[in-house]
Amino acid sequence: MAVIETRGLTKQYGRQLAPALADLDLTVEPGEIFGFLGPNGAGKSTTIRLLLGFLHPSAGVAHVLGHDIDRGSVEIRRRTGYLPGGIAFWDGLTGERLLDELAAMSGRAPTRRAELLDRLELADALHRPVRDYSRGMRQKLGIIQALQHDPELAILDEPSEGLDPLMQRAFYEILEELRAAGRTIFFSSHVLSEVERICDRVAIVRSGRLVALEDVAALLARRRRNVELRFDGDAPMLDFVPGVSDIHVNGDRLTCGLEGDVAPFLAAIAFAKIHDLTIEPASLEDAFLEFYADDVVTPVAR
Amino acid sequence: MNRAYLVHVLRANWFRLLLVAIGLAIWGAILPIVYDAFGQQFRSIMDSGIIPPQFAQFGGGDIFSLTGSVALGFIHPFAVALNMVFAVGFAGAAIAGERQRGTLEVLLARPISRRVLYLTAAFATALFVCLTVAAQTLGTFGGAGATGRLDELGAGNLPLLWFNAVLLYGAFAAVALAASISFDRLTPALGVALAFVLVSYFFEAVGSLWPDAAFLQDYSLFHYLDAQRALTGLPDVRDFAILGAVIIIGVAYALAMFPRRDLAAPA
Repeated sequence: MAVIETRGLTKQYGRQLAPALADLDLTVEPGEIFGFLGPNGAGKSTTIRLLLGFLHPSAGVAHVLGHDIDRGSVEIRRRTGYLPGGIAFWDGLTGERLLDELAAMSGRAPTRRAELLDRLELADALHRPVRDYSRGMRQKLGIIQALQHDPELAILDEPSEGLDPLMQRAFYEILEELRAAGRTIFFSSHVLSEVERICDRVAIVRSGRLVALEDVAALLARRRRNVELRFDGDAPMLDFVPGVSDIHVNGDRLTCGLEGDVAPFLAAIAFAKIHDLTIEPASLEDAFLEFYADDVVTPVAR
Repeated sequence: MNRAYLVHVLRANWFRLLLVAIGLAIWGAILPIVYDAFGQQFRSIMDSGIIPPQFAQFGGGDIFSLTGSVALGFIHPFAVALNMVFAVGFAGAAIAGERQRGTLEVLLARPISRRVLYLTAAFATALFVCLTVAAQTLGTFGGAGATGRLDELGAGNLPLLWFNAVLLYGAFAAVALAASISFDRLTPALGVALAFVLVSYFFEAVGSLWPDAAFLQDYSLFHYLDAQRALTGLPDVRDFAILGAVIIIGVAYALAMFPRRDLAAPA
């Protein structure tokens, strides 16, 4: 059974013309890390808030952990950990008191708290009031409150915001361990490198519509790489090699684009006198920018 | 009701509750003492005709009796202001304040339904109102005891007075909580609740002091706190019913509307 499943999920505020979210079809499987990408106002937060029952759908249906989002919201939240974007706390409480109170409200023992405190290096600050915390410490506290009760599903809104690179690495390791333990992670992000690094699948939304939903590996495999090679003698013949495009030869330097399988390209240059070869790795950023370059929205095929 | 959230609220408010309760207890004690010390002089001044007789009726009764003085004390601006700290201040901020601060996100990320959250806030408000009004009532009892006027006060009927005052401030709290679930920002929630209190007080004051405007009193919730009648042991049940109806309407509105609201991401 899918952990998250939406069918035609739509949210329209009042009579405004464009819906905040339109016809979202999405399935998140157990044990995967699912990245949810999009620029500001694309519908990421709207989707998360619909899944958690903060908003009511205008149309469509969605189930989280087998519960309908409108009728089973409390049950969903019982089994879910949520990190809101720009999280706020009761600043007068100490970190420890805050985590205790939130765990009590969750009704589940904070079985992972000690480990998370250790991994995110927050244990020493727990006795201090939250008002004295830096932004990064608040974010760590937010992550801990979302994961301390070992939820089956974690919904994280911009989770690495404010974390330094070391803590980001620790956080990614935590997510990977959660995945290995069979937990499911759904998170929105603007940081494409982290999505590329840890996500199994990614959905890209734009103007409230889903424009891509793919395996990260497949998305990267399809991306165009930039190739530059330097050669002696004749330039290798690449005109009819599958996946090669935009060939430019300038003296002993050749540049081209390369999509898909690299084997035909490598075979084509095997007998050329190459003395330098650079293949720029495809990045999710290229993919992301491509999806956002057009003004015309092309919804993903269902 | 969510016990953990209730404990959180009680912990966050106990010191404020203590200060308000002490203030109201002192205020409640002062009035019988002032009456004991200056009651005859006040009566002489009024008898002289310098002050219009309507002033003697403000607050629902004859201020030249102990019960009348106590009645005035219960709707004196000082007592009203202190009682409103929780009836309007806490209740108005209970949901809208969490929403504005962004902590409603954290609360509703727990397995707590909005109705349960509201009912927990309403229970905490009711508890605070019960305790603050009890402090004033006990202060009155103490003041009357200190001046040896417990019999004159009708101390056995103090629970009725307490109940009537709890209903009054409970009605204001229900309105404030209804405003609190209706807005995303604290200012409009508190503004609506305070405006309701001020208009209500204005109607009662004007209606009480100006015979031609006496009809306005019917539209004031303060009019339905009849401390003097409560202390005689013969309260008007309609007062209780009207205040109770306002509470029920406020609670019903909140229970119906809060779960239906869309809580968009905080700005």
